[in-house]
Amino acid sequence: IQAAWNLKTRALTEMVYVDEIDMDQEGIAEMILDENAIAQVARPGTSLKLPGTSQGGGPSPAVRPVTQSGRPITGFVRPSTQSGRPSTMEQAIRTPRTALTARPITSASGGYVRLGTASMLTNPDGPFINLSRLNLTKYAQKPKLAKALFEYIFHHENDIKNALDLAALATEHAQFKDWWWKVQIGKCYYRLGLYREAEKQFKSALKQQDMVDTILYLAKVYLRLDQPVTALNLFKQGLERFPGEVTLICGIARIYEEMNNISSAAEYYKDVLKQDNTHVEAIACIGSNHFYSDQPEIALRFYRRLLQMGVYNCQLFNNLGLCCFYAQQYDMTLSSFERALFLAENEEETADVWYNLGHVAVGIGDLNLAYQCFKLTLVNNNDYAEAYNNLAVLEMRKGHTEQARALLQTASSLAPHMYEPHFNVAILSEKVGDLQRSYTAAQKSEEAFPGHVDTQQLLKQLKEHFAML
Amino acid sequence: MPEGTGALREVLPKQGTGGEHRPALPAQPAARSRPFSPFAGQLSVEDTAAMVLCKPKILPLKSVSLEKLEKL
Repeated sequence: IQAAWNLKTRALTEMVYVDEIDMDQEGIAEMILDENAIAQVARPGTSLKLPGTSQGGGPSPAVRPVTQSGRPITGFVRPSTQSGRPSTMEQAIRTPRTALTARPITSASGGYVRLGTASMLTNPDGPFINLSRLNLTKYAQKPKLAKALFEYIFHHENDIKNALDLAALATEHAQFKDWWWKVQIGKCYYRLGLYREAEKQFKSALKQQDMVDTILYLAKVYLRLDQPVTALNLFKQGLERFPGEVTLICGIARIYEEMNNISSAAEYYKDVLKQDNTHVEAIACIGSNHFYSDQPEIALRFYRRLLQMGVYNCQLFNNLGLCCFYAQQYDMTLSSFERALFLAENEEETADVWYNLGHVAVGIGDLNLAYQCFKLTLVNNNDYAEAYNNLAVLEMRKGHTEQARALLQTASSLAPHMYEPHFNVAILSEKVGDLQRSYTAAQKSEEAFPGHVDTQQLLKQLKEHFAML
Repeated sequence: MPEGTGALREVLPKQGTGGEHRPALPAQPAARSRPFSPFAGQLSVEDTAAMVLCKPKILPLKSVSLEKLEKL
């Protein structure tokens, strides 16, 4: 009967198991009330919170869209890439939690509670294991049962405190010689936000038994403590002991990408592919880097490879369509977009596809079609700032200045981090003679993208004008 | 092309004298080295800043963990 119990526990856990290594949603509460910051202002290139100040290397915002936190959009999205660490509370509330919902992550523990309650739905006649009546000490003495039970409590019930109790008892029982329990305790501390304690546990586990997983967990702790350089060193040391380990190389690449060092990230993703040429994340990221570096044909090869591997979703076909169009393979373009529309699972994805179709239409010169496509984008997603901006440009071409201005207003309020709406407002105001408004808008554009030559020229022009008055 | 204020630049080569006593030049090469311009009026190019479109969006692919999380 113990075996059956064991099996059922593990099966239930497996249903809701999300690899802890990936699972990393940082909520607003964690970000604002962060007590782990070591220095007030980090030196450039050493912090994940200041993405702009790094060695850089990669397409500028003039070519590559930028997310709310100021980082260029990446080719691959994981549970942790959504966070982005905004600096003010207001920005934090604005950051959408996922592509689906518009609500921000308020607290990570809230997400876990939901996971816990979701698991309760799977058991119509009450929980399989009643935690309050468990005698943890008894289970701690039976290592095999204890391990299955721990995983169940941790993943299925999301009851970290009980899990931690069990793990502590089990470790004691194993006389602190079992690395597995140390890692589990470390995971519990991580969930509870006690990062330094987690670090200690993981380090001690590593001393006892060198495991790739432990290295990955420890790196997660360092990243939460905003110590990317430490994490990088850890990974590099790990690579000396586990040469060619894909997860470690991928970890390094991800950190470089978070720090906005796209060239190093690309290098490491290529290393990943040398070891494992079916690695979806690496292929997607390199593909998007090539696309935005003006090499759509190469990007096309990478996305085709993903198709060969059996990835079959809306995003891939959208990207294929874009690459085909810009690589001048016009026969494949529209059918790829059609497939993308067919595979779209929700309105946000549909909006994205229509937006890109609008770009294709602009490219072939059919401005009426472009207009319709951007309007369809807005139908599917009312908050699509880029579509508002592009519609405004089209309206200006037709001469409808007031409509263009209203659209640009919407765009810039929805997405203050984008420089395009601000720049366009500046141009528009200058044309009608409203130089004051033009100047303020140009300044906002410069703030969003300091390297934009046209903005600087416009500012220079305006300053000369004001100096003359 | 978008119109508007901006620096006006004259793109006009030095005009040869009109008239009957033009030296006989081979037609095509001369026309190429000297851009053809109408005798009346000036050609000009404006160096205006144009409005910028937002860029096409490559959609990021979702990881398996993210898809599972969304389903839950």
